[in-house]
Amino acid sequence: MSQATKESAKQLVKLLEKFPKERVKHLISFKESQLDRFRPVAGIETGSASEQSKPSLAEIKDIINRTSGPLGLKKDLLKKVQEALPEEHFNDTQIQEQIRSLNAIMSDKYKNYYAVGDKLYKPAGNPIYYKRLHDEIEGKGKETFFTAMRTVVFGK
Amino acid sequence: MLSSIRPGTVVLSRTFKQSLASYRGVTAVSLYSTNNSAQKSDSTKETTSTEKGKSVAPEDVRTKRRELSSSKYESASYQLPKWKEALGEFVISTLNLDMDKVRAGPIAGSYYYSICKEQGLQYEDEPLSKTAKFFYEDLKLPKTFSQWYQITILHEWMLFVRMRAMPFKYGKNYQQKLVDRTFADIEKRLYDEMNVHSGRITDQYLKDFNSQLRGAVFAYDEGFFSGDAALASAIWRNLFGGKKNIDMVHLEAMVRYVRAQLYVLSKLSDREFAMGEFKFVPPDESVEILTPEQEKSLKEKVVAKYEAVDANPNALPSEKSKFSYTN
Repeated sequence: MSQATKESAKQLVKLLEKFPKERVKHLISFKESQLDRFRPVAGIETGSASEQSKPSLAEIKDIINRTSGPLGLKKDLLKKVQEALPEEHFNDTQIQEQIRSLNAIMSDKYKNYYAVGDKLYKPAGNPIYYKRLHDEIEGKGKETFFTAMRTVVFGK
Repeated sequence: MLSSIRPGTVVLSRTFKQSLASYRGVTAVSLYSTNNSAQKSDSTKETTSTEKGKSVAPEDVRTKRRELSSSKYESASYQLPKWKEALGEFVISTLNLDMDKVRAGPIAGSYYYSICKEQGLQYEDEPLSKTAKFFYEDLKLPKTFSQWYQITILHEWMLFVRMRAMPFKYGKNYQQKLVDRTFADIEKRLYDEMNVHSGRITDQYLKDFNSQLRGAVFAYDEGFFSGDAALASAIWRNLFGGKKNIDMVHLEAMVRYVRAQLYVLSKLSDREFAMGEFKFVPPDESVEILTPEQEKSLKEKVVAKYEAVDANPNALPSEKSKFSYTN
């Protein structure tokens, strides 16, 4: 591996570290998995940072309760994915491409370019839909039993 | 701003400029072409597939459910006899049926589902369609049933976003019809194409698909509202199955694809969308932002079109709608 690749990979890792954290815990995290993938390329030891953020037993139980078992589908899928994609070898230009794309994603390029406005962000049928969802994820507005029941009965 | 995307990669360089205008005013035509060759080859394969029983191998496809149903009423070539049409119009006008509600079935349940379904549809013995090529060859997604499902629900979610902006009662109905049709079709595809003959196993699959749908809609909604990074993570987890060696260029292409479709949807009025005058922009074309003048002239055209329909005293009862065409 050339020095240029290493330097580019270091840039990429730096960029990935700035990637916003997921606000809802999932079994896998984009940020962590990509950091694990590119740190060795950059020659950085996979530190304890990702070790610590691994979900605890309680969190795994919570995730499993929220989602049902994969019923053999996932296994099949994963096998095919692995067959389709051989071992990875990076060169400098490839990593630069990754950086460029990641930059576009992280700067909200397409959200701003293809601006949809309040027509979709505050949809006429249910203007507080996204705001409510967002507040709940951020922990700002708390959903109570009654607001939850209101959604069940009236749909919004 | 769009020109600053460097066309150095496979996926992005395949795009060519296409203005948004041609995607408005597209009506539902000939989507359900029946594939006769598929049925011919079935008779020979019949025996082997029944022997194998519950194997889930795509090569054992018994009947390809390319078209949504075998009902003649759902085929594009079928012409309703005049007397049936007259009877239908009579029933609508005397019972004063709410056509906006009735229309949800044929538009969301049939047409919109069909355009979502065909995006990722593939069979092992057939060449891929243009959009399927993008998903399976350019993005290198695995050619599986569950991958097809992920592609389908991504497109359905984009329609959900637009449906939420319709009046609540009607939007909800459109969403319901789309979801109902999806699961009805999956149940039949599991039986006919994937050879799942046990009701219990089918139910398990359907429940699993249901929870996938809920999770995906939630994740995409979060990403849509909060930003491209969250949307990209949602796409990575759902569409790409959370694979580690993801190409960020692919991820960027998908974010752009989704945002472009949503932009087109946001420019449609309720009336146009409810009448089914939308189709997805193919992945090898790109959407350009409308200038204020273009937007104005497009709006004027739409207003003129539907004003004429509303003012026409001879318009059929089934053509009437209360949806706004100015928003």
